[in-house]
Amino acid sequence: MSTGFDKRLIVAWLALSAITITQLGVGSLQDGLRPNAAITSGAIVIALIKVRIIFREFMEVRHAPVLLCRLTDLWVVVAGVSLLGCYFVGMAFSSGFSLR
Amino acid sequence: MTKVANAQPRPRFVPGQPDMWAFVLFEALVFTGYFIVYIIRRTQSPDLFLQSQAHLDLRVGVFNTLVLLASSWSVARCVQAARERSFRAALTNAFLTMLFGFLFLVSKVLEWATEIEEGFGFTTNEFFSFYYFLTAIHFLHLLIGFVVLAIGIYQLWSPARRSQEMIETCATYWHTIDFLWVLIFALLYVMR
Repeated sequence: MSTGFDKRLIVAWLALSAITITQLGVGSLQDGLRPNAAITSGAIVIALIKVRIIFREFMEVRHAPVLLCRLTDLWVVVAGVSLLGCYFVGMAFSSGFSLR
Repeated sequence: MTKVANAQPRPRFVPGQPDMWAFVLFEALVFTGYFIVYIIRRTQSPDLFLQSQAHLDLRVGVFNTLVLLASSWSVARCVQAARERSFRAALTNAFLTMLFGFLFLVSKVLEWATEIEEGFGFTTNEFFSFYYFLTAIHFLHLLIGFVVLAIGIYQLWSPARRSQEMIETCATYWHTIDFLWVLIFALLYVMR
């Protein structure tokens, strides 16, 4: 029956909402006008964890064929590597880093 | 149609039509491209982006995210209810999803109006160009989402039209709006 599903949905929704609310804490930090690699990495990683929870629990990917599970996981990894990679490489270049 | 026998272990299944999943993964890749361009441009002018970002209200971003997460939850409940043939509950959850979507729509329009009133338009600087572009293209997906939800409600309304696969397809599209927003929220409101 649905009880097990419903509980999982509620737990997933509460977890996603709680994670989102904790991100309000970033607004109270006093270093607002400085780039912060830790906050950026945290924001991107947390967002991708939330996306994976949405895939698995809300979109029912955990019941889907393995191919769909792997494809969604692959996109999460590719997005994470791309976004974090672009951020760190971009910040390194903008702060005068040279490959030589 | 997807039919489920109670208390039986379910075989693995694709929720909704596979074509919709192809579209979802395509959209995810397209938005990843937008996000990569945004981050590259952001790292070239970090101070400008941070100063501009400070004009956004993080609380509004959090509120919008919570509303869309609630809409995802209700549309997931709609799918479950339809699967159990509790069509009244499914319809209630579909309407609830639409209500959450409408709440997001109003909140987003008010946020845009506030930004424009304060003098931050599309051409103000590069950050706001990205802000309006990303939120507007997401908004367009939301508007399409209302049509998709309406199709789901139309399907649920009459016993002759009910198709579990179609309901799951509509829900899959709606969840896409949600997870894309989760990333947009992180990149526009939270990252530094």
